[in-house]
Amino acid sequence: MIARQPTAEPERPKIWFEALVLVGLGALLLGGAEVASQWRQPLRQTVEIDLSAWALPKYALFSLARGWIAYFFSLLFTLLVASWAFYDERARRYVLPALDVLQSVPVLGFLPGLVLALVSLFPTSNTGLELACVVMIFTGQVWNMAFSYYDSLRGVPADFRMLGRLYGFKWWHRFLKVELPFGAQGLLYNSMVSMAGGWFFLSITEAFKLGDQDFRVPGIGSYMSVAIERGDVRAQFLGVAAMGVVIVVADRLIWWPLVVWSRKFKLDDFGTGTVDQSGLQRWLTRSRAVQALTVRFGLFFNRVLRPPAPPGRDGEPAATGELPQRQTGLWLYRLLIVTLLTGLAWGAWRLIVLLGRVNLADWGEILRCTGISFGRVLAAVALGTLWTVPVGVWIGLNPKLSSRLQPFIQFVASFPAPMIYPWILAVVLVLGSSLQWGAIPLIMMGTQWYLLFNVAAAASAVPNDIISCAALLRLSGWQRWRQFLLPAVFPGLVTGWITAAGGAWNATIVSEYVQVGDKLYEATGLGAFISRATNDGNFPRLSAAVLVMAVVVVGINRALWKPLQNLANDRCRFMT
Amino acid sequence: MAPEPSILIDLADVSHEYASGGHEKDLVLSDVTLAVAENDVVALLGPSGCGKSTLIRVMAGLIVPTRGTVRYRGTPLHGVSPGVSMVFQNFALFPWLTVRDNVLLPVGRLPAAEQQARLDKVLSTVGLGAYEHAYPRELSGGMKQRVGIARALIAEPEVLCMDEPFSALDVLTAETLRNEIGRLLASPEHPLRTMVMVTHNIVEAVFFATRIVVMAAQPGRVDVIVPVSLPYPRDPDAPEFRAIVEKLHAILTRTNLPDNADSAKVVTKTDGPAKRIAPVSLPYVTPGEVLGLLSLLGDKECDVFDLAERFAKEFGAVVRLVKAAELLGFVQTPGQDVVLTPLGQEVVAGSTETQKRIVREQLCRLKIFELLLRLIKVQENQMLPDEELLRELQTALPHEKPKPLFRTLLSWGRYTELISYDQRHHVIRLYEAKAPKGRAAPAAPQSPPPASPPPTP
Repeated sequence: MIARQPTAEPERPKIWFEALVLVGLGALLLGGAEVASQWRQPLRQTVEIDLSAWALPKYALFSLARGWIAYFFSLLFTLLVASWAFYDERARRYVLPALDVLQSVPVLGFLPGLVLALVSLFPTSNTGLELACVVMIFTGQVWNMAFSYYDSLRGVPADFRMLGRLYGFKWWHRFLKVELPFGAQGLLYNSMVSMAGGWFFLSITEAFKLGDQDFRVPGIGSYMSVAIERGDVRAQFLGVAAMGVVIVVADRLIWWPLVVWSRKFKLDDFGTGTVDQSGLQRWLTRSRAVQALTVRFGLFFNRVLRPPAPPGRDGEPAATGELPQRQTGLWLYRLLIVTLLTGLAWGAWRLIVLLGRVNLADWGEILRCTGISFGRVLAAVALGTLWTVPVGVWIGLNPKLSSRLQPFIQFVASFPAPMIYPWILAVVLVLGSSLQWGAIPLIMMGTQWYLLFNVAAAASAVPNDIISCAALLRLSGWQRWRQFLLPAVFPGLVTGWITAAGGAWNATIVSEYVQVGDKLYEATGLGAFISRATNDGNFPRLSAAVLVMAVVVVGINRALWKPLQNLANDRCRFMT
Repeated sequence: MAPEPSILIDLADVSHEYASGGHEKDLVLSDVTLAVAENDVVALLGPSGCGKSTLIRVMAGLIVPTRGTVRYRGTPLHGVSPGVSMVFQNFALFPWLTVRDNVLLPVGRLPAAEQQARLDKVLSTVGLGAYEHAYPRELSGGMKQRVGIARALIAEPEVLCMDEPFSALDVLTAETLRNEIGRLLASPEHPLRTMVMVTHNIVEAVFFATRIVVMAAQPGRVDVIVPVSLPYPRDPDAPEFRAIVEKLHAILTRTNLPDNADSAKVVTKTDGPAKRIAPVSLPYVTPGEVLGLLSLLGDKECDVFDLAERFAKEFGAVVRLVKAAELLGFVQTPGQDVVLTPLGQEVVAGSTETQKRIVREQLCRLKIFELLLRLIKVQENQMLPDEELLRELQTALPHEKPKPLFRTLLSWGRYTELISYDQRHHVIRLYEAKAPKGRAAPAAPQSPPPASPPPTP
């Protein structure tokens, strides 16, 4: 909770704040124009990245624009696909598992094919490259959002749906007045996570190389990669700082106000006057410029979205005229399914053809590499568990501590770790190790935070009476961990494991194959195999390795994590 | 000097505050001095919010009080008390352990044979033999609480603490368990003789306790200690038993519904502003609840404790309701009875609009509302920010919790159309009825209708 300082009178926003809002809007427009002109520029083989500090805001803007465009598509995809899965029972049986598999697929493996395809689609402009970059960010964002929204659709109480039917809501009314408000909180939380997930591969996707072709686009990620290539430590620090600023600013200016605002959709809390607002939002709602805008906006929406009069009032039954519409809808729907299936079949055929060109020795090497990477992933998750469980429990059981540490951990977790891989690698090399072992801390950098978050959340949810009871029983030492704390955080730990292990497999691609300056550090492993195949432009080997990785991730999910999750939900949930 | 060694728990001048957000502090316990001797069965009785749950946790060493000393067998407590076991209202069973493992938790360090012997004994005592290998999830509420009791007994504690042990159970199950604990106390071979229990149920307190500590709220403190010397097992229908229950009724009514406090309640306009009497707070109830109470009262007088039973509500909640109705002049409370006043009868008979008008008139005579309306009027734009009101309430009524009081004032003010509240901007203003086009009458049908009365059992 935010402690609100009592104020003598309702604060009036100062003039400079009004100005700031207007300047911000202006900057938004100008920035949009800048981004658009960058996209329309003719395709250059290599983009020169300017390492001066003054170029950074522009690069940050480009990266942000990609992130937000990707987010827009993620949101669109989420709303469409989750609603589809919810309303179409037949489709649900295929859509949900498909999403689950897509979530586990190593996204970087698709980058080469995607870049080539899109560049050939837009041979005369940068649009193809930019789109490829956006799609990569999209794939890092979308899956958890879709699952969250689907869950919230399922959670809409029957009463509210009934109400919608009674008042004759059309689908968009139902969507805007019932479904979206219900999903808002979950969607928002997952959007924050997704934005962080989308940044993770930024330094790779923006500075992509395929064989000797350089598909670089301007942005913070490519700035960072050039700085690393040239060994310019000052520029590296600047890049990291800029990324940090981008994360903090987005969190404070966009996510936090939205989180505060979304609290009004909480069903169980209609307390008056106790809803705490973020300082910024209170300012914004009191700024006259913004007020004028929202009023206008609100009027527009009210006009467009006013629900129709209840059926029967105008003597007109609501159901007439729906039939022909249904018919065309059905045909469109069938067409969509057929297109989707055709696409799938074509893709599968292409894949088989490609895989046919992989020889037996390659398969052997892929399997060997998979074994080694499996070891690394396990080691990374195990090491992460070793430190995050005690620390997470400590944080979770201390409400004061957790509220103080949470923003910090959130920042560290959303920082794209590959950007600072060279620094960690330098430490590893100084310690006299090689990337064979050094890849493990690199993998951990990106994935341990999921464990910490989930363990801390589970620990903070332990009921007070249980904590009192454990204290009275004088459980101590190992007994306290074995019989009380470990089982109590187990559900959170399993959730953390699933996310961390999936992320770790993806992270092997960037962690087992690191380029610092003109030196290449490589470890034996599936991730390095994929990276090498990408660099060589060897598509058969690349698709074989990506396929194996996807199968391994999905297989481990099914064989190991799902049973553990069932066990945790069955045994270790506190009764409420 | 003789009974000195038999004192187990000794509290001296114990006070406890919770920091409740920001700089405001809640005084939950104020100067409590209390001793629990061997073979004492102490019941902590009182309405919710009187700090009885905090007190039992202080005794167990789970909460370190802000002031005062807690001793166990003469030595000051550091951390949890060595001889205390506790039974929790919501059982606090570990869901990942079977009944057997849950019960064995406190005796993990004993030899296996000893563990087994104690387990068999305690499981047969509470009647759980057949459930040894079940998980808590599979058990009903009553069975769960049996596990909780078995876990507390197996350590053979010197003091058994029970925090509302039967409140989460349905009436019949609670009755069964209560009788079983009563049988334990009655059987001479059972070693456990010392108990501390928290309850808001008067009969339950008389059924078990050798001493009943009646507590009062705001701030939480010990009001009276009533000794009970009836032999076990006790019969709730015996005249001696009923006499003690009656006595407790009288005590609780006296502390919670005092007869001679009328002078402070309603403040007339003649009270000059120079007289700074602290305004009497409005109990935290809604207009709908009070109107429901009035319509259920009828023209007969009704005992407060009967009302509590009829509404299936806790005694403290009914007292709050009756206090609010009395403050507004709708009921009188001679002794333990509640009677409608003529004004109250008028409210019951009136239409929605009449009800609203009468409540509005009565509300305006309360000093707390006078304060609220004056605060709004002195604002330059007649808009009172909620922070300001919260601060004023806290200075005017330091013993009240500002936020629930704020919500109560808001709900009454909005119901009677005295004020309106803008939740987006956090300001309160005077209510102005929107005059509908073409009609001059300032009727305002948008306001919420009074809530329907609570169902009668």
